[in-house]
Amino acid sequence: MITAGIDAGAATTKVLLLQDREIIGYRIAGTAFDFLTAARNMFDELLASCDIGREEVGKVYATGYGRNAISFADKSISEITAHAKGVLFLFPEVRGIIDVGGQDSKVIVVEDGRVADFLMNDKCAAGTGKFLEVTAKALEVTINDLGGLALASNHPADITSMCTVFAESEVISLRARGITKEDIAAGLITSIAQRVVVMAKRMGLKKRIAFVGGVAKNAGMIATLEKELGVTIYVPFEPQITGALGAAIAAQGEHVTPPIDS
Amino acid sequence: MLSTLQSLDIFKDSYELRIAELKEEREKGIKVVGTFCLYVPDEIIFAAGADRIVLCGGRTDTIPVAEQSLPRNICPLIKSSFGAVVDACCGGNLACSHVPLVDVVVAEATCDGKKKMYEILHDYIPTYVLDLPQKPGSHEALNYFLSELRKFGKFMEDLTGNVVSNNALRREIRSANETKRLLHRLFELRRRDPPPIRGSEVLRVMQKQFFLSPDQFRQGISQLCDEMEHTTPDARTGPRIMISGCPMAAGNTKVPDIIEQKGGVIVVEESCTGTRSFWDLVDEDKDPWKALAERYLEIPCACMTPNDQRVARIVDLAKQYNVQGVVYYTLQFCHAYNIERLRVQRALKKEKIPLLAIESDYGDSDMEQIGIRVDAFLEMIA
Repeated sequence: MITAGIDAGAATTKVLLLQDREIIGYRIAGTAFDFLTAARNMFDELLASCDIGREEVGKVYATGYGRNAISFADKSISEITAHAKGVLFLFPEVRGIIDVGGQDSKVIVVEDGRVADFLMNDKCAAGTGKFLEVTAKALEVTINDLGGLALASNHPADITSMCTVFAESEVISLRARGITKEDIAAGLITSIAQRVVVMAKRMGLKKRIAFVGGVAKNAGMIATLEKELGVTIYVPFEPQITGALGAAIAAQGEHVTPPIDS
Repeated sequence: MLSTLQSLDIFKDSYELRIAELKEEREKGIKVVGTFCLYVPDEIIFAAGADRIVLCGGRTDTIPVAEQSLPRNICPLIKSSFGAVVDACCGGNLACSHVPLVDVVVAEATCDGKKKMYEILHDYIPTYVLDLPQKPGSHEALNYFLSELRKFGKFMEDLTGNVVSNNALRREIRSANETKRLLHRLFELRRRDPPPIRGSEVLRVMQKQFFLSPDQFRQGISQLCDEMEHTTPDARTGPRIMISGCPMAAGNTKVPDIIEQKGGVIVVEESCTGTRSFWDLVDEDKDPWKALAERYLEIPCACMTPNDQRVARIVDLAKQYNVQGVVYYTLQFCHAYNIERLRVQRALKKEKIPLLAIESDYGDSDMEQIGIRVDAFLEMIA
């Protein structure tokens, strides 16, 4: 059976098609003001590119902040459940998940194949992709360049502001003092990583931890998290799709087992 | 969802009746006492021939008035209540119509925020503060509280010109116990599966407890229980939830409304607007002052240390009401309840009962964020 998962996130929308236990295609794009039209267009484009007719798709499940706006979905599930299902499908041995997205970050504890506990930070931009996006701009680099720059640093700058707006002015004053871009980038990443690590430790995550969400594409962030947590972290081939994947898995019913070769 | 219970209409109309009653009493020279906390025994106020209404605010529109005087980062209940009283004292019309009818405030030394707020409140309205020992459970603490209650009795005598006699106190203890027994009857009915009433409906009724007269309130509860006993509720679909934590003052129903909208079935509340007000009765056979001191000092509030009795009560209620999850609710910046969460969570974890912590103010800006957590929690425990 073919099912679809739509993750209407705060920053990006992800659409994924799943046939039984195989991902047949996915798309990621910035979330538009009109959640619904944007998601529907992405879904139609994905179907066309995979040469699949709408009628061939069984159930469509939505997740993410805009999940209830996706009127063409059969059901919506929370992103906590969706990410857990998606990550366990890719890495069945995982026991903890760190998700740092555009506008929130969360830590999920997994036991016996299901969510056992979770913690979310979404009261402000601190500890989210937004923090990196805004502060990268102050460094005049893109968020994608931030990780590479950070890896080249030997002395990460000390960024003390938790508030994104204050961190932005802190970056400007660090530059005025002649601190290198590399050290500031590393400082920014350390700052957000430390916030996420506190959440992870609060939830008791020790090993077999997966890292997903847009910020998991940042190599500097992965390296810092691994250092702070003292373990190797599992990162999916495409860290942004685990929510959509989990929704598509849920749409298959409760009987989907992970692929044998994972 | 459940069919609406007809008896709930009694409570909808009760507010206006009560306002008329209070105005009439004041014309007769009866004093009206405003209180903020369960630690202040109603029995003493009524025994002195005064009336009382609770002033805890759950509305957001009086908060900006309070923020002109108080720091922003204190709990919304303190800000809302303070703003309402100050606005009413300054001739404003933001507060509900019962607020300007209060002659005097009887406050209590519980959390830091309230204690310091009362000092400023006294500039606007006469405010008497009942002191509390912070470490209950010893003879010394009990004797101290007993002396504080007697002092408070003297204050009420001076205010009203009436004597607080042992007989009047015993009469009021029996009356308050009758209310408590009725609330036990109401809560007992909620143990059914499915429960015959929504949690948000019970909350709205419990909020009324604090400004209706005891007679008016008991009449409503009694009819409500009679009707519930003969109601067959629709089959429930969602998990059974207990709410535990800070009080939800009138006007504040945000979190229970979200939980129910997402499909959770709230069956019990461990809070000042839940079990804490009525769970323990006052001993009717003992010396009335001593009996009051013992009962009131046992209220399991997070301002006390240690507060093991609250942790034990939560675990016990969770089992009695067969709950699948506990939503731990705290008012934003309420340090006592926020910190105590960890001990509650650890005790519940031993019983394999999951907990979701929600800290929120009176605004609507976090409804979506709370909704996501509640969705995920209900999916987790389903």
